[in-house]
Amino acid sequence: MDDHNKQSAISRIGFFVGIALFLIFTLFPLYWVLRMSLVSSDALFTKPTLGSIFSIPIDLSGQCNLFGLKFSCPPSYQTVLADDLYKDGLLNSLIIAGITTIICIVVGSAAAYALARIDFVARKPVLSAVLAISFFPAVAIIAPLFIQFQSFGLLNTYWAAIIPDVMFALPLTIYLLVAYFRQLPKGLEEAAKVDGANLWQAFYRITIPLSAPGVVTTGLLTFIFAWNEFLFANTFLLEPKVQPATVIIPQFASIYTVDYGAQAAAALLMTVPLVIMVLFFQRRIVAGLTAGAVK
Amino acid sequence: MGVASERLPGRKVKPKGMSGAWGSIRSEFNDPEKRTAYWMILPTTLIVLLVAAWPILYAVWLSLQRILPNTTEWVWFSNYSRMFSDPVFYSALSNTFLFTVISVFFEFTLGLAIALALNKSFRGQGLARGIAIIPWAFPTVVSGAMWRLFYQDEVGIFAALASGLGYEGVILANDASVLIGAIVSDVWKTTPFVALLLLAGLQTIPDDVYEAARVDGATKWQQFMRVTLPLLKPAILVALLFRTLDAWRVYDLFWSMSDRQLDSLSTYVFEFVRVSQADFSIGNAAAVFVFVSSIVIAFVFVKVLGVREEA
Amino acid sequence: MSGMNRRDFLKYSGAGILGASVLSSCSRVASGFTGAETVPEGTLVFSHGPDSSGTIPKVIDKFNKENKDGLTALYRQAPADSGQYFDKLRTEFQAGSATTDIISGDVIWAAQFGPNDWIMDLSDRFTDEMRSEFLEPTLETNTFDGKIYGVPWFTDVGMLYYRTDLMEKAGIDAPPKTWDELMGMAREVQEKTGTQYGFLFQGAEYEGGVVNGLEFIYNAGAEVMPPDDPTKIVIDQGDADKGLAMQQRLVVEGVAPEAVATWKELETQDAFIKGNAVFMRSWPFVYGTILGGKETGSELKPEQVGIAPIPTLAEGDESFSGQGGWNFFINAATKKADDCFKFIEYMIQPEIQAEFAVGASFLPPRASLYEDEKLLKDQPVIELAKDLVTRAKPRPRHPFYSDMSLVMANEFNSVIKSDSSPEEAVSTLQGELERFANLGAEVYDL
Repeated sequence: MDDHNKQSAISRIGFFVGIALFLIFTLFPLYWVLRMSLVSSDALFTKPTLGSIFSIPIDLSGQCNLFGLKFSCPPSYQTVLADDLYKDGLLNSLIIAGITTIICIVVGSAAAYALARIDFVARKPVLSAVLAISFFPAVAIIAPLFIQFQSFGLLNTYWAAIIPDVMFALPLTIYLLVAYFRQLPKGLEEAAKVDGANLWQAFYRITIPLSAPGVVTTGLLTFIFAWNEFLFANTFLLEPKVQPATVIIPQFASIYTVDYGAQAAAALLMTVPLVIMVLFFQRRIVAGLTAGAVK
Repeated sequence: MGVASERLPGRKVKPKGMSGAWGSIRSEFNDPEKRTAYWMILPTTLIVLLVAAWPILYAVWLSLQRILPNTTEWVWFSNYSRMFSDPVFYSALSNTFLFTVISVFFEFTLGLAIALALNKSFRGQGLARGIAIIPWAFPTVVSGAMWRLFYQDEVGIFAALASGLGYEGVILANDASVLIGAIVSDVWKTTPFVALLLLAGLQTIPDDVYEAARVDGATKWQQFMRVTLPLLKPAILVALLFRTLDAWRVYDLFWSMSDRQLDSLSTYVFEFVRVSQADFSIGNAAAVFVFVSSIVIAFVFVKVLGVREEA
Repeated sequence: MSGMNRRDFLKYSGAGILGASVLSSCSRVASGFTGAETVPEGTLVFSHGPDSSGTIPKVIDKFNKENKDGLTALYRQAPADSGQYFDKLRTEFQAGSATTDIISGDVIWAAQFGPNDWIMDLSDRFTDEMRSEFLEPTLETNTFDGKIYGVPWFTDVGMLYYRTDLMEKAGIDAPPKTWDELMGMAREVQEKTGTQYGFLFQGAEYEGGVVNGLEFIYNAGAEVMPPDDPTKIVIDQGDADKGLAMQQRLVVEGVAPEAVATWKELETQDAFIKGNAVFMRSWPFVYGTILGGKETGSELKPEQVGIAPIPTLAEGDESFSGQGGWNFFINAATKKADDCFKFIEYMIQPEIQAEFAVGASFLPPRASLYEDEKLLKDQPVIELAKDLVTRAKPRPRHPFYSDMSLVMANEFNSVIKSDSSPEEAVSTLQGELERFANLGAEVYDL
């Protein structure tokens, strides 16, 4: 018994050490980006030494104005928060990413359900065709898509970003949901039929709730993908009024110089909503999953 | 079961004969369950055909021509032969290959380990998960530039750490070290993605399955091999397949981090399709190459790892 | 059932957030879905990259108020990166969509856009009389195949920065005229003062690297393409290889750090203004940073810095500086060409050019402004650049310049890294550039 305890003690320590190392590796670059956004550009371009790594000479020489509150803040944040294009960009990002996610989940989960649980002739071809979309480098179809959007008058509308985002997010969405749906026990449909439900009802009353972690995860990943998407937004959304934040951030620069501090600040501000979303939904996933859910 | 013609995933399928495949599809409409299935896949199919199929086919068509501002001539495969005799193409190919193999390997093993760890309950589990996702959530458009700054010889933190450990050279000036830097940056960014995928898969495995195994006297390792892995297989395969395809098509990272020094297949495509005027067509040929090679990759996954759509 | 509630909850909360944000900026968002044009009819749309000095919006406001024809202009911000901006324009042009009326373009774009009839030929509007007031190099870069496509807005020119105070300590009183002199002086100064770097330049693989490499070639007395004949490549005649060899030597012998092969303007500026270099080749904007003092990160004071022409290879040779700058082009598809030209005429007035010079440090292309007493006082960079702007030499003007630039950037960078020899680079360039020149001659009937 003693041996067993020792073993589990070691494995517990190893476990925590592992988690700690992982968190350090994950957080250190982010810490550095945060530091970049807080310090003056002078300090940004100073060679880091062992001593200065953990010192953050926060520069509060800027004036920020957020929702009417005025306060001192680092100049990078002042630049970013004062930029109307950036703020509009965040809203545009939300709209584009939100709609992309909704479309992908609705369309994708229905398709994934059919593909995962039902055997029909078109199944393999559809799976292959959907996967084939992921084989093509996005940069190569920019020109044809541009012409397509232009002839339909979709350039400079949100749809010009939503449609390609859906197109490239759909393969992963469908394949993930197929995988998650597959993990559910086979007898579900039979049990539902016995209870008198048709396929649709089995789908949204039983399958979706049981694979909630999968659906939520897929939704989150899709949202994050669309939120951070740059290539299509940059090429098809030519007017600042519809451009999402990812396109606006590289603009914190001039012909010869790049404002790294402002870009760091803008990128961090863009990431915060995503992290909040993940924290929020993660709790939902854990809460919903107790043993016996299958019953 | 009952599929009229066996096709492997990864190939575009054309019905062998109108009556053959079409007939069997139409006959399925009689079954209410199968009819529902067709309705369910309808939106997806529409999207694939209208939005995806046309641009892709158009790009393939373009690759067989020589497009110049005032003239367009049909040159069949001459674009491909020019591409295959371009040394830059081969360096792009080898960079992409190394990048894909190494980064997917690390992302998968680390991702699996992290998913297993985060699956356990411990204090701060939710917070750990939230933190874990941040690299993936951080916008790529900035991430590449930031990492480049980290490696920059004057002000970069990683360059400083490296020289502190005795490294003499300029990280960014050496192709090999830039590639390693890109791999590190990608592993940092993408491991959370893989971890999150696998974690969701792990959480769908009900506890009573483990309970049963434990009752049977299985050790942790045996539980992992006999219970977890098989049940996780669909999620693992999706994660591996998509990560590999994504890495194979890497563009953002190479463009912004290596700043034109290092080519990946997609930046090679980009240079010809978007920057060059005279050699636009070679870019399309390269894009088709990426497309075909991706099919080969998916095929390999199917054969070797058995991604068979089991009934 | 708990499942139902969760799904609905997610749906509703998502819709709620979306709805709330949308409501707050209703019309803009609505037009984002429908693509409705929010620019009023008849407005002249003008595009240029971001301007952190804020001078451009100010001048546009002035134009809107003061112009006698009741015209309204709108400033639409273009990408900061010149290559990206070019890419965007080219995509729009190739698809035939014209949303910008007046395009501000880089010096290398006239020959790439003009022959495709994407921008207007301004030879009739931009008269000889008007042109006579502009610096020759700024006009040259806008001309191709006998037509003038653009009106110069502001110019930019490569210059040699040097530390007067450090040179004094080493007993040197005049800047170097040749590269050999520069190497000698750099070494001496470094020895006496312990300065980290001797000479800095932009050697990374990008457009700036092409400008730097071309400066070494031009200052060796060689040419890439004869100014009036875009069908010939002559880089293998003359001493181009010696020019590149000198660039390589500077790195190999340690006068310039190895890292210049990865440095652009930002990195070289940073090292110089922190006081770590004796010499630097860069653009006028650095002087503006130095004038800004601590606020802009400069540890140097203006008195410590001097400006000189780029050194030449051989003694007594004429010094050339790489040319930059931006110009006004009119979109060939615009329906308001006359109005656009009125806008341009407003912008090139001496007073407006002076305003840009003082507010945004844009060097004016008008020759007369370099003698203007008041302007010289208000903007010290003008005095320093006076000599250099007449020595500016454009990059090769050709419709396939983008392709040429890719190859040149690659070859120049390999020479700097010593991955290939100058002779190899020159011979490769001769072959590749010739291919583009021949193609261009064929396609555009040059």
